[in-house]
Amino acid sequence: MGGLLISLLSGTQALDAAQAALQSASNNIANANTPGYTREVALLSENPEYFSGGNLTGGGVSVSAIQSVRDELLNLQIQQQTSLKSRADTESSNLQSLQPLFSSTGEDIASTLAAFSSCLGQLSSSPTDASVRQSVLDAGQNLANSFHSAAGGLQSAQSAADQQVTQTVAQINSLTSQIAQLNAQLTPSVMAQQNGGTIEDQRDQLVQQLSTLTDISITQSSDGEVITTGNGTSLIMGGQSFALQTTTGAGGFQQVLDSNGNNITASIQGGQLGGAIQIRDQVIPGFLGSLNSLATQFAAGFNAAQAGGYDSNGAPGQAFFSIPANGSAAASIGVALTSGSQIAASSDKSAGSNGNVANLLAAVNGNMSSGQSPAAAYSNLVYQVGSAASSASAQSSALNQSIVQLTNQQSAASGVNIDEETTNLIRYQTAYEAAARVVSTIQQLNTVTLNMGSTQTF
Amino acid sequence: MRVNTNIVPNILADLQQSQATLNTLLSELASGKSVNVPSDNPTASAQMVQNALETANVDRYTQNISSALSQVQTAGSVLSSVVTSLTQAVSLGTEGANGTNNSSSLAALAQQVQTILSTVVSQANTTVGGVYLFGGTASGAVPYSADSSSPAGYVYNGNNDANSVAVGDNMNVPINLPGSQVFSDSGNNVIGALNSLVSALKSGNTAQISSATTAVNSSISIVSQAQGFYGNAAGQLNAQETFLQQDTVTLATQQNDLVGANMAQVATELSQAETDNSAAMAAAARILPNSLLNYLPPPA
Repeated sequence: MGGLLISLLSGTQALDAAQAALQSASNNIANANTPGYTREVALLSENPEYFSGGNLTGGGVSVSAIQSVRDELLNLQIQQQTSLKSRADTESSNLQSLQPLFSSTGEDIASTLAAFSSCLGQLSSSPTDASVRQSVLDAGQNLANSFHSAAGGLQSAQSAADQQVTQTVAQINSLTSQIAQLNAQLTPSVMAQQNGGTIEDQRDQLVQQLSTLTDISITQSSDGEVITTGNGTSLIMGGQSFALQTTTGAGGFQQVLDSNGNNITASIQGGQLGGAIQIRDQVIPGFLGSLNSLATQFAAGFNAAQAGGYDSNGAPGQAFFSIPANGSAAASIGVALTSGSQIAASSDKSAGSNGNVANLLAAVNGNMSSGQSPAAAYSNLVYQVGSAASSASAQSSALNQSIVQLTNQQSAASGVNIDEETTNLIRYQTAYEAAARVVSTIQQLNTVTLNMGSTQTF
Repeated sequence: MRVNTNIVPNILADLQQSQATLNTLLSELASGKSVNVPSDNPTASAQMVQNALETANVDRYTQNISSALSQVQTAGSVLSSVVTSLTQAVSLGTEGANGTNNSSSLAALAQQVQTILSTVVSQANTTVGGVYLFGGTASGAVPYSADSSSPAGYVYNGNNDANSVAVGDNMNVPINLPGSQVFSDSGNNVIGALNSLVSALKSGNTAQISSATTAVNSSISIVSQAQGFYGNAAGQLNAQETFLQQDTVTLATQQNDLVGANMAQVATELSQAETDNSAAMAAAARILPNSLLNYLPPPA
């Protein structure tokens, strides 16, 4: 009897094992398209042998675990690349919004500078024509307006990036607290008792999201998973999260502080946060600086040329452009003259002279105090904007390639393959049927045994 | 080794990419421009700034030349009729100096020379577009007005300066001579000489008539010199106009090279992109429905 009962036991174990394998296959099929899902496999193991009736008998099968197949190293690489790509994307989209300001729209500085030069040229052939003088004044105003809109566009992009910093910090804080909650459920004792697959999947998804926001580094310690920013500021330690804060800094922009109040703005490199900070604190101030120095030098050069001549009434030329000394020249450059007759075209105090027009034209087309012509200085700025935007988007697509490759690798390891699961279904269906047959066979044999030498039939 | 069988994201990415290429090429073909924002080609965008400025300048220089030419040509034709008038005056003076005229015929000659004098003065006061051609840079006042206190009978109200018109980068062509260098030059005064001839004819003094006639004759040379100046200016302006026409072509070519789309190339690329796109879709259609389930018998 002992032998038959052992076989019955193995049959039952085989049924359990096939059931567990069928369950994991069906769960895999159910979650085939769930983002972040990691496929499960039922790990089966052989039971120790019995020593029965002088013979060693196989001890059947047991389900040792249902395990999620994940590759932590790949996850880490994907997180790093995602963080870099997200930074490049943020820079790229912010720079895209700047590009129209520097494209040839007819309202850009290149177009209005050309129109201004053209109107001045006309003054050379008709120095006494009041309508020509007025057109020079209008073209000067248009040029000033182009400077205003370029500077205004840069400033509003800068404050948009600033808002992005605040929003991203809020998102980071919400994610870190969610991750910490999940971490708290994944204590070592829980891990030992049951499969942490679902919680780990959720956490990996959240960590992945966190890596799009900033660069992170993950280490395992006795307290569980520890996540810090790239420069080592703690975000999560096991079940505890540390919120970042923002405060208004000296320039009116939001500074990022760690939970102890230390300013870590400059050290944040990656992710959306790093990209927004880079755009706000480095890229746009660089463009604004070039634009301001162009406005200042151009206006100073033109005013100097204007001062060298005489207006229609024979008075020495007054400053054409007004430039405030507050450093934001491009945003507030203005036309100081109120009448076309004040343009100093004359070199000999007589109204019909155009002797100073050549000097005015030279101030527009020739070199400024920096040694560059206004057009050259502006084209340099256009180049910088274009090149920054194109390199950010090139970087983004290069990183995208590497992420696609890593994600493919990750899917190869952890993704669900429907064909494979279908095969497993057939395989474990057969196994289940065979195990059921074992149980029914043993039952028949037991009945036979019980009926031996009995008048009563079972 | 396990293979990634979840190819849906890859297929979608491929389809999106070939669609994006199609869109880019279509917009290039439609707009005729390959550079719309600086990042499309930063170097070309930067060069376009200079190109736009130069194009505007060249257009303006060309317009300046045409208005300067009209001034210079008008001045030239005014001066040739002045020369004709002066030649007439010389023959009238010569006739008056031959000693055979009685006082009434001398008075008639004086009257004719007086008419010539008024003609020359009105020619010296010619305007083009409201600007006095021979007033120097003082455009406000009539260059010559009658003044009995002046020995020449007329006073010059203009100044001694001249204007140059910008017709090229750092190129300014002088386009006028002040009247003081044409009609009332201190050494060779056209108006003064004519006025003296009128007085001499009125006085009937043959010697005076003769010397006044010589003075008028020699004043022709300064007008001829001025003619030469205007002819020279017209020549310079015409040459510069030819150069600017070439420059316009060069700038337009450069602009096309920098930001224009090469239609033949774009059209070829477009048909290639269409092929890519159809191939990607055909591949997706072949691969996506593949499944082991297609080959298993339906459950009994």
